[in-house]
Amino acid sequence: MPIEIPVDKWPGTVNTVTLGATAADGGTRSKVVTIGGERSLPFMHFENETPHPPVIALEMTAARPGDWSQVLLDAWGDVVDDPARWAGACEEAGADLILLMFGLNDADGNPVTPDFAVGTVKAVLQATGLPLVVLGPGQAEVDNEILVPVADATKGERLVLGLCEDANYRTIVASAMANGHLVLGRTPMDVNLAKQLNILMTDMGLPLDRIVMDPTTGALGYGIEYGYSVMERLRLAALQGDAMTQLPMLVNPGYEAWRTKESKVGEGVPDTWGDWAARGTHWETLTAVSLIEAGADVVVLRHPDSVTRVREAIDELMTLETA
Amino acid sequence: MYIIGENIHILSDAVKAGLRDRDAGFFQKLAVSQVEAGAQALDLNLGPRKKDGEEVFPWMVKAVQEVVDVPLSLDSTNLRGIEAGLKEITKAQPIINSTSAEEERLEAVPLLAKKYNAKLVALTMGKSGIPVSADERVNIAIEKLIPRMLEIDYPVSDLIIDPLVLTVSGCQEYAPELIEAVRTLQVVWDPPPAISVGLSNVSNAVPNEGRPLINRVYCAMLMGVGMNMMIADPLDEKQNELVRIIEERDDSTAVGKLYLAISDSIAAMEEPSIDDVDMDDPEQAEIWKTVQILLNKVIYAESYLQQ
Repeated sequence: MPIEIPVDKWPGTVNTVTLGATAADGGTRSKVVTIGGERSLPFMHFENETPHPPVIALEMTAARPGDWSQVLLDAWGDVVDDPARWAGACEEAGADLILLMFGLNDADGNPVTPDFAVGTVKAVLQATGLPLVVLGPGQAEVDNEILVPVADATKGERLVLGLCEDANYRTIVASAMANGHLVLGRTPMDVNLAKQLNILMTDMGLPLDRIVMDPTTGALGYGIEYGYSVMERLRLAALQGDAMTQLPMLVNPGYEAWRTKESKVGEGVPDTWGDWAARGTHWETLTAVSLIEAGADVVVLRHPDSVTRVREAIDELMTLETA
Repeated sequence: MYIIGENIHILSDAVKAGLRDRDAGFFQKLAVSQVEAGAQALDLNLGPRKKDGEEVFPWMVKAVQEVVDVPLSLDSTNLRGIEAGLKEITKAQPIINSTSAEEERLEAVPLLAKKYNAKLVALTMGKSGIPVSADERVNIAIEKLIPRMLEIDYPVSDLIIDPLVLTVSGCQEYAPELIEAVRTLQVVWDPPPAISVGLSNVSNAVPNEGRPLINRVYCAMLMGVGMNMMIADPLDEKQNELVRIIEERDDSTAVGKLYLAISDSIAAMEEPSIDDVDMDDPEQAEIWKTVQILLNKVIYAESYLQQ
């Protein structure tokens, strides 16, 4: 029996956002990444083509991470002590872009300074041609202290700067506007708060095509369904034409998956859980692919093997038969 | 519109202080001002009062009855407290607020209402909480609430069903469903039970300056489906004016005309049309944006009026 697939016609479109700038556009990137532009729910190719497939970011830290799973540290080896080499390794592992995360301290355990931050960002930009997301530690004072000089020192690169949150977004937005960068806004798994932050940021005059939103999510088994629902609701609103929800979404399945017990703990767990490293990358991959199905435009991962596996899933989803 | 005045409510600091000091004069003033403003009944929400409910409710009933004649609605989860209050009623037929469809409550509260010839507010909420869809809420009324009344021979005409208004800030998907629940509940039984809503719940967790507009627009929409009883603030003059506009069909002002158009569209099960709105008039534009969030067409955000 022939089955007729119902086709939705949506009035709204997700904003198209380009991360990174080549020399021709005032930056130094060898490639840029363009996300967004969706006019249908994810992978409904029979409704509209997906103009830009979801992309994969690898997360790295400015100083050796103190709280990462041993599985991750083993996978990356000694590059975790050298941001430039780590960035190169991320590119080799197949990332589309890199997310550079600052903690409260530098490699020597001293509080991060503007000089350290600018030096690290510049070293990473030199080591890789990929676009870059730069995040502060998430404490308003420190974020502003390091992100403003970073924005100034990298004018024109179209970096994504964050985090912009409800309580701290003005300085980062102003600094991004002045230097041709983008921003990342994050809200805690709530559609109303996500939209509110977008209204506040655009109210400052930042164009919508320079904002990416992180609606926050959970890992597989740890609240992913709540995150999924929020993303789905935001995307439906975007397709229905609500301009303040039409932002591409970046989520952190790497961070979320690698802090679950299943990924983080290798000893004292049932034998039936199987190989630790395999389990961790399974967890990360499944979390990431689920969020891609929810509408994620950028998934941030931590393990190099997960990149290959998530990439395979994306390729498959992008070429689905739509008979 | 039958307004059950909501202003004697334990969440108010002044009410808390008045209770602590057993300040009868404070409550008498609050009761009189509400009745003078048009309240036809008064809700007395004193919280659970686990320790002293059996002392506080009678005290409150006596104090308020000295100055007003309207029905008093005893609003608490403390049944003994409510019963103690009911014993002191000497004036109008009282109201018990409330029972739900949870087994224990539905067993005990209607019996109390019958014993004291009280009206009874019944919430469309079962043990698994408040369902989103209108149909499920109506089903709770038909399958649980009304059958229990019939079972104990309690007059359905004394039943007041409250289909539970939830806030647009966080429970937005409930807002349009509640409208449909109010519409349907009026035709599920003959004679129909009364239907009452807690209007201002729709703007819980909304910043104070944004609440009255949301309440008014929702009121206009609900009046479109026949809502004629609500627990609300009778001192809200703009809300009273809105109620008057709809009831008298006063289209002499542009805003009045718009409210009527919105109310009529909802009545006709149609979406309100932007053609009825002069978007150059900021007041009309704000009303229109509020309709959009209440119909769950546009996601609510604190600054939704700025969008």
